[in-house]
Amino acid sequence: MSTRTDFRRAARVALHDEHAQAALATGTSRLRDGRLVAWGEAGDIAGLRERGRQIRTATIADLDRHLETFERSLSARGGVVHRTRTAEEAAATVVSICRQANAHLVAKSKSMATEEIELNRALEAAGLEVVETDLGEYLMQIRGEHPEHIVAPAIKLTRTEAAEALGVEPEMDLVMRAAREQLRTVFQTADVGVTGANFAVAETGSICLVTNEGNADLVTALPRVHVVVLGMERLVPTLAELAPLLRLLASSATGERLTTYTTLLTGPRRQDEADGPEELHVVVIDNGRSGLRGTRYEEMLNCIRCGACLNVCPVYRKTGGTTYSDVYSGPMGAVLVPLLSSLEREAALPHASSLCGACTEACPVGIPLHELLLELRRDLVDRGIGSRLERVGFTVWSWAWSSVIGYRITTTLARLARPLGALAGPGRIWSHGRALPRLSRRFRDRR
Amino acid sequence: MTVQLFATCLGDLVFPTAVADAEALLREAGHEVVFPRQQICCGQPAYNAGHRSAARRVARTFARAFAPDLPVVVPSGSCATMLSHYLPELVGCEPYDVWELSAFLDQHGADLPRRNDGRVVAYHDSCHMLRELRIADAPRRLLQRSGAEVRDLPRPDLCCGFGGTFSTRQPEVSVAMADDKLAGAAGVVALVTADPGCLMQLSGRTARTGGPRVLHLATALARGVDAN
Repeated sequence: MSTRTDFRRAARVALHDEHAQAALATGTSRLRDGRLVAWGEAGDIAGLRERGRQIRTATIADLDRHLETFERSLSARGGVVHRTRTAEEAAATVVSICRQANAHLVAKSKSMATEEIELNRALEAAGLEVVETDLGEYLMQIRGEHPEHIVAPAIKLTRTEAAEALGVEPEMDLVMRAAREQLRTVFQTADVGVTGANFAVAETGSICLVTNEGNADLVTALPRVHVVVLGMERLVPTLAELAPLLRLLASSATGERLTTYTTLLTGPRRQDEADGPEELHVVVIDNGRSGLRGTRYEEMLNCIRCGACLNVCPVYRKTGGTTYSDVYSGPMGAVLVPLLSSLEREAALPHASSLCGACTEACPVGIPLHELLLELRRDLVDRGIGSRLERVGFTVWSWAWSSVIGYRITTTLARLARPLGALAGPGRIWSHGRALPRLSRRFRDRR
Repeated sequence: MTVQLFATCLGDLVFPTAVADAEALLREAGHEVVFPRQQICCGQPAYNAGHRSAARRVARTFARAFAPDLPVVVPSGSCATMLSHYLPELVGCEPYDVWELSAFLDQHGADLPRRNDGRVVAYHDSCHMLRELRIADAPRRLLQRSGAEVRDLPRPDLCCGFGGTFSTRQPEVSVAMADDKLAGAAGVVALVTADPGCLMQLSGRTARTGGPRVLHLATALARGVDAN
């Protein structure tokens, strides 16, 4: 997973892009409002969310067993399960499946798991042509950019930019028609179709995919081989338990009762069937997820990738997604990326939040995202990562403010030094755009 | 009743008049106010930055200064959250009876003089007060009782960008968030908030860019939004 080491610099770029600022504000508000309306119409939304949380928590607690059941069920239906540990291993597995299929062209349906293992790069390095078939993702691919949002990859693009990418006039009809024409050939000629999986049902060995464009259905029905890249935590024990999760996902992600195309795929094409792939491979990726189990971060595995936390996050609204990483962004990304890759390298992400708690409030399955961010900040301090100056500063501060006399001395010094406050340290950074507060006579001295 | 007033560090140092206004309101409502002289800070700045031992060291001063058997009233939603939700576990003490100022006045207040008759104001929710203490109606109700017309901000759920150390770690994003908040308050006489952190952020920004007057709820109620 390739990530940003300098959140602040990347954020500055996003802030200076006026079009992006407008598009992010509109896009996130639209998705947020949609969720709130859908939740309002859902009847007992609190009950549904709690049921979702329970299903996810119980599934993760017994994940090994569910994975075995899934593998058994799918094998019985003629599918092949490949378990992988690392991102590289997962990508290499997909490449080798494509090679064995003598593939030239790979059609993909939007999947964050494939972004996570940098699959496109691996496939292209192996000489294969890869085409994204979700409209937003297709546009981003043409522009050579990574998805800006886990549900709406092109959220930052204006209509003009979309039209430019496809070489047509900036009319939405023309954009759609051009994309449809360009992608149709891809669907018809691709040798392998690659998708992610929104859920995988253990008891039946089914893969569940949801899209609003139907592109996943073409990617899984037309090519000879279908490869699913499945995050190991996306299991659901039974079909009965899938139903509430689908309702939560659709309402939280796009404000729908059910996503337009909600498809369950169970095994490759059978003899009496007219279409579907000859081979079905499911590549299960771990890529650091096992390390979260049994820790205080285990709840992060409950995430159903709906994007609700991105849409309410005031920081994401200003920075967009790629400021966080090439894959996951917003609050869920700020928690997940350091956990899956490395806290050392991603030390900025736990601090890329004002801890306002809007994410926790929006999460349909009750992940306490802002508390996990605080937990990560503690890990940074405990492991000695991050600014030594800050650590020394807080330690000195805490000793000084352990007694009223120390408090008086330090705050008097601060008042005397105020004219210099804007020259160095936090005071200087604060003064960038804001007036430094005036320290007047203390309340305690006025009484 | 007798209450203990916790000024908070920002209140004591940066907004002493707002704390004095809070005290005046409490007295006006017939309460006796004691000010424990040994109080300093709840430790939140360090706590939210992940420095738990530093936070604990400072938070202990609160437990030493305040009596466990009298209510504590705080003119800050986020410090009230720290005190009620996190401090007992952090320093290992029994929970205190903590009240955010507006919630206390709403429940235990007398009649408020109509110091804001005909004034159009907006109220900015601080995140901790809104989501952790779930206090949103009390401050609005108090402003209305003081005669003000309270306008809704376009997105009351959005943070003003302060967030403690966030404001200096990500200063550009922080300031942009403040600008969004202030843009939504165009057309009101005053933007009122019950949190010194938000107050420092938003008034610090308007000092540079202009915009509505930003003031603490205690000041708006005790002396009116036109107070100097």
